[in-house]
Amino acid sequence: MRNFIRDPDFRAGFAEMLPINVGLTPFGLVCGLGAAAAGASFLGALGMSGIIFSGAAQVLAIELLAAHAPLAVIVLTCFVAGLRFLMYSAAMAPYLRTLSPRWQHALAFLLTDQAFASSVRRFDAGADPRAGAMHFLGAGFALWAWWQVTNAVGYFTGNLIPASWSLDFAVPLCFIGLLVPALRSSPALAASLTAGVAVMALAWLPMRLNLIVAALLGIAAGTAADFARGAWNRR
Amino acid sequence: MEPTLKLWTMVVVVGALNYLSRLSFIAFFARREMPPLLERALKFVPAAMLTAVIVPMIATPSLAPSGDAMPRIAAAVVAGAIAWRLRSDVATIAGGMLALWALKALL
Repeated sequence: MRNFIRDPDFRAGFAEMLPINVGLTPFGLVCGLGAAAAGASFLGALGMSGIIFSGAAQVLAIELLAAHAPLAVIVLTCFVAGLRFLMYSAAMAPYLRTLSPRWQHALAFLLTDQAFASSVRRFDAGADPRAGAMHFLGAGFALWAWWQVTNAVGYFTGNLIPASWSLDFAVPLCFIGLLVPALRSSPALAASLTAGVAVMALAWLPMRLNLIVAALLGIAAGTAADFARGAWNRR
Repeated sequence: MEPTLKLWTMVVVVGALNYLSRLSFIAFFARREMPPLLERALKFVPAAMLTAVIVPMIATPSLAPSGDAMPRIAAAVVAGAIAWRLRSDVATIAGGMLALWALKALL
């Protein structure tokens, strides 16, 4: 551990996440208080934040648990919400190819939207894969540790926060910060618009199944638009 | 199913599936060529998924009274504009929250 703390790349990754952790604080509090409201024990809440370690999956799981949805629906919804990790994993893979399996497994566990966004820039900048991996480890560790703290604090003190503050609104705001940079191309815009319209149009589906269907329709629309653009450019 | 058992089964299964998704291309498919269709489709997962998660949270929040959808939608648009211009997560969250509080006080 001491070796890590002394490593300049580990420290740089850790430090880079400090402002991001500030932004994620209300999100973590909402996850903790949501887990308490859904009737989870403190240990159960820590299990969600420590093992699942994904705000999107936690929020959806809490909502579905509170609505007494069947386990299979919760698992499927969280899995579909986690499909974006496939894309991050594919994008990270070339940079981690030369590392040992131990490193690969550790870094995969810490792969989140935020760590991905910051470390892809870092890997592009430096040629040394070990320095990039250290940077990623520092960033991932900072995010994981603070996520546990904010979830725990939210679990115990969430009910002290006045409802009029609308703290839950910080959750979609965190995702807006991730979504907007992903909308650079017209196919991505088509994917987003389709998913947005579909999720509202299919709101009548039980147990938030509209989320899964809308996400898949959005991915299909983006892929189709990408093919159409390719065909158009080849003419 | 008993609630504690259900919760822990969920934690373990969702945790394992999320971990396998994260590990997928880093460890298992690293040496294999990705099918072109999958590569194309994966690019649009974040845009589609995040939108499907965000829109209901703003338009039909389950944690807040349903009456205040309009200020939430307007505040989300403000946050989107901040994210577009500044590319800063902290500014997006702070600006969005301030916009929501201001709109709720005014409306």
